[in-house]
Amino acid sequence: MIKSYKLRRHISNALIYLILGVMCIIWIAPFVYLLLHSLRADGAAVSNGELLPEWYTFQNYIDLFSGTGSSTLNFPKWFLNTFIVACFSCVISTISVLAVSYSFSRLRFGMRKKLMNIAMILGMFPGFMTMIAMYYLLKIMGLDGNLIALVLCYSCGAGLGFQISKGFFDTIPRALDEAATIDGATKNQIFWKIILPMSKPIVVYTVLTAFIGPWTDFILAKIIMGDIQENYTVAIGLQLMIDLDHKTTWFQEFLAGSVVVAVPITLLFLKMQKYYVGGVTAGGVKG
Amino acid sequence: MKKVLAIILAGMVTATAFAGCGGSGGGSTASGSESAASGSESKADGGATIDANWPDASMFGDETDIDLKVWAPDAAVELVKKQVEEFKKHYSEVKFKNIEVRAQGESDAATNMIKDPEKGADVFGFPSDQLDKLLAAQVLSPVAKGFVSTIEANNAEKPVVAAKEGDSLYAYPETNDNGYYLVYDNTVVTADDAKTFEGVLEACKKAGKQFVMDAGNGFYSCTFAFTGGALIDGFEADGATQKFVDYNEDTVVKTLMAFAKLMKTYKGTFTSQDVANISAGFKNGKVAAGVDGTWDSNGNKDALGDKFGAAKLPTIKVGNEDKQLISLFGYKYIGVNARTKFQRSAQILAYYLTGQDCQTQRAETLGWGPSNTKAMEAVSSDPIIQAVSAQSQNAVPQVKIAGTFWTSMGTLGSEMYKDGWNPDDEAATKSLWEKVVAQIRDE
Amino acid sequence: MTYVEYKQLSPLQRFAHRFKNAMKNLPRAIGRFFKLIGRAIVRFFVGIGKGFKNYGTTFVKGDWATKLSYVIFGFGDIHKGKIYKGVLYLLVEILYFAFMIVFGFDKLYWLPTLGIHERQVVYDDMGFPHETPGQNSMLLLLYGTLTVVVTIVVFAVYISNIKDAYRHQVMRENGEKPTTLKQDARDYLDGKYHITLLSFPILMIGVFNILPLIFMILIAFTNYDGGKHNVLFDWVGLDNFGNLFNVVNSAAKAKTFFGVAGWTLVWAIAATFSNYILGMIVALMINKKGIKLKSVFRTLFVITIAVPQFVSLLLMSQMLTQEGAFNILLGLISGTNPKIDFLGGSALSARLTVIIINCWVGIPYTILSMSGILMNIPEDLYESARIDGASPFKTFTKITLPYMIFVTTPQLITQFVGNINNFNVIFLLTGGRPSNPEYFGAGDTDILVTWLYNLSMGDKKDYGLASAIGILVFIICATLSLIVYNNSKSMKDEEAFS
Repeated sequence: MIKSYKLRRHISNALIYLILGVMCIIWIAPFVYLLLHSLRADGAAVSNGELLPEWYTFQNYIDLFSGTGSSTLNFPKWFLNTFIVACFSCVISTISVLAVSYSFSRLRFGMRKKLMNIAMILGMFPGFMTMIAMYYLLKIMGLDGNLIALVLCYSCGAGLGFQISKGFFDTIPRALDEAATIDGATKNQIFWKIILPMSKPIVVYTVLTAFIGPWTDFILAKIIMGDIQENYTVAIGLQLMIDLDHKTTWFQEFLAGSVVVAVPITLLFLKMQKYYVGGVTAGGVKG
Repeated sequence: MKKVLAIILAGMVTATAFAGCGGSGGGSTASGSESAASGSESKADGGATIDANWPDASMFGDETDIDLKVWAPDAAVELVKKQVEEFKKHYSEVKFKNIEVRAQGESDAATNMIKDPEKGADVFGFPSDQLDKLLAAQVLSPVAKGFVSTIEANNAEKPVVAAKEGDSLYAYPETNDNGYYLVYDNTVVTADDAKTFEGVLEACKKAGKQFVMDAGNGFYSCTFAFTGGALIDGFEADGATQKFVDYNEDTVVKTLMAFAKLMKTYKGTFTSQDVANISAGFKNGKVAAGVDGTWDSNGNKDALGDKFGAAKLPTIKVGNEDKQLISLFGYKYIGVNARTKFQRSAQILAYYLTGQDCQTQRAETLGWGPSNTKAMEAVSSDPIIQAVSAQSQNAVPQVKIAGTFWTSMGTLGSEMYKDGWNPDDEAATKSLWEKVVAQIRDE
Repeated sequence: MTYVEYKQLSPLQRFAHRFKNAMKNLPRAIGRFFKLIGRAIVRFFVGIGKGFKNYGTTFVKGDWATKLSYVIFGFGDIHKGKIYKGVLYLLVEILYFAFMIVFGFDKLYWLPTLGIHERQVVYDDMGFPHETPGQNSMLLLLYGTLTVVVTIVVFAVYISNIKDAYRHQVMRENGEKPTTLKQDARDYLDGKYHITLLSFPILMIGVFNILPLIFMILIAFTNYDGGKHNVLFDWVGLDNFGNLFNVVNSAAKAKTFFGVAGWTLVWAIAATFSNYILGMIVALMINKKGIKLKSVFRTLFVITIAVPQFVSLLLMSQMLTQEGAFNILLGLISGTNPKIDFLGGSALSARLTVIIINCWVGIPYTILSMSGILMNIPEDLYESARIDGASPFKTFTKITLPYMIFVTTPQLITQFVGNINNFNVIFLLTGGRPSNPEYFGAGDTDILVTWLYNLSMGDKKDYGLASAIGILVFIICATLSLIVYNNSKSMKDEEAFS
């Protein structure tokens, strides 16, 4: 009986390994395909009709960074732009999110519930028209076509995504605050000296999500940047590489560019995975 | 004070001369247009210099510290920059602050212009199908009256007529080539094969290679309907609904069935793919022919080298008749932003950039087929330009096209190409066609 | 059911019981929600009425400095020695009037008509056109909205200035001194810390979210469409909403609306549950006792999250074409030349493909959050189950499953709402294809948000209609999540851990 139980477990484990293995292959295969084709040497545009390239080369990556044959494609600059925007908007977003979620979680004030409800539904308005409005508002401020505008756009709504972070703060015992208050600490000191040091997972989670945003948006950024190509981000840049004018010549470089964008984010993600999981579960379950 | 007055006077003198050409001044001279025409005639060596018969510096009026932005597609930026330098050199007495040439994909030109005209270019290139959008948004300046008659005299008729609304011309014709034609590998398809659709497909099939046409894309698939006689003719009176010429529905259905039949018979040879795959296919030897546009000409030429062949679209056998394939055909224009601070400079620059010499240069380096008749003669030996020019005789102008047109025509093509489609089913073809028309006309 | 009876149920039955109760309570919850909204509206107007009354009585009771505060911001405060605050109030007034003179009054003037001037072209003596551009209704509407919002905010400052003046008057009558800047600063770090923390985010949200939102809502009441960009358009009242429901006169629009809305619902349900169930199964497999390489498996799945969606989805859509990798692979396996058009073939195949690809995109997220939850299940539950001699299967159905379902229900709702608005997957994969001859500017796989995109940025522009749809989607999503959120366990026992 015991033996058969053990055997059964072995079989079921083997089965699970098999299923997981197959799934992992399915999940990873497209990226391997992307990577291999970014190294494709035949210069064929969209597809060469083969599963795997016949020859490999780094030329696509070299072209991508040297930008030969085009007056607009300047991938290194776009990469730098995106990095700068991502850094700044990630700082501002993180501050906003933490400030809002801390207020809603730990402080008690009159408008709290109302503000929470408003904040929750505001993010649900599917508005592409708001983008053109944002463009003109930024234009009044003289910021259109400017990287600062992008930083503002990506971090302005951050405060609305407070739920997960608030859920996390909710799990920190209030007794800590009370003890600190008795010792004469102000709310400000409690925030900085007690709550923040305990919130590493949620801070990392917030930083990560905020950092990734600028790398992926291609609609709003395009509206704001217009024809100022030197201020493009990689997302618009990559879109530009597969538009009608460039598709036949730049598709290979588009693949290479995609890899260049994906690799650092993936590495960052893998390194921070532990905190990300911690943040999303602690906050997500409650929020 | 005296100096100012002198300038004004000088300006007025030239002005009368030019106003004369426009016919608006009720003027007596026709010399303006003649001299401009003969002026361009003397230059055929391709160098875009400007001689004495061009508008002289006084035309700039009191505009000084001129700061202009020009939009050109990425591939043309280098050349346009050179042409602009030439322009500045010619008008050395005019004070230019800066003329900036920026890359702007033509497919998005109107969208970006309309988004915020104040931040758009002062002078910009765009394809003809965006003309009505730009007109509706009132971002195009009418062409200066003094230039109109010269433009009419020197350019092919269709592009000029298409850019006219009422008495005013709204854009400077730049090319007469924005269309697609047949490209082929001349070791597989002979020039004789290329005359008929059946011949092209048969040759490809024999060699075991593909023929590529993006049948799911309305831009190409409208050919099926046009060949059957269902041509479009601008808008109805409401300015938004697509108008068709009177056509014989039976002929349309028969023609559509003939196309579907070919797709079926040559299944595996006739493939509907993105045109970007054509040059790739030429390179790896999988594709022997395709329907591709002028914008990919250089890529296809590079891929095929000596084997490159180009011709107008072939004919198709419907019943006993060989019908010429009729395509959608557009032009490129250069427009002047209505909000530009330097209206005169922008107009003169646009006039210069669409002049004979600039057009010839672009035809030689970029392969853009000129709208200027003399420039056309200068480059007419080029096989692509020949093919395109021949196709332009069998084409519907790509202007005043409803937003619904593209996806609906795309549906037509993709339905016919589908595996389950029965090319002999007349009733189904008829009902598909009726549905497509209803959708285009938004009924 | 009594508490004791409840405790005797198995966890699954408990869940079923809770679920049944939740369903039973749903109509009441909805009712309560609308009652609450109604009450909030009533309270709002009562508040305004009270405000007016206070406005009058304060004026009667105020001294001359307080009375002057009704005209000059901050005068009362300055008079009572609260200099810095008074100066700030005054500054607001000065800036406001500067703003109104330079910008605001003109925009307010044009708001009701949205402009009347058409463009005019005159030719100069040399035949060059010179033109005065016509008015741009869109900008007039946007700037008008901006002016109104600024005015409302300044009005709030104005009221607070009066209140503050009166408060200081009362304080002086009682012989108290106004607080110093230093004291106030300390208060803003402690008692009023929420104001310090929230003011910056609220300012940002106000300018870049709320203001454009109001603008967009207003557009729903105009006839702004693609042909009227940059030029004049008009107010049309509720026409756009009417068109959505008018099956007779605007059949195409109404038909598209109902068709697209139906598919959106199907899509949201299918996408949410397929991700949830499959993700849970994979998470369970990864976290099963005795499975090694847990972190490796998790890491491999996480890569899908890390790669930007426009890359991974564009790649996918390219691989799914007739010449793409999937067809090549199928060809190699089957030895034929399948040339299946996954995304354009038929409505059904495109829809199925989209749902399947969405699993590829979404399951990793589920795995991540589920893994965390699985690790959080109290170990003693399993311990006691083992002592009772429960089989692994039984442990799973009696402990793991009910726990997970219970804990993740709120998440499920969030995901559902998220899927209704899931723009990326549809837009990047199919762009709405295959096109549907009977729809107005939409295809078979278009969901409401992507249709909205087509209407506001694509070929078939109709901003007014787009805004009307946006408002409807918003009302549905907001109502749904407010009800769920305010009735959810986490909201009710917010202080459970405290």
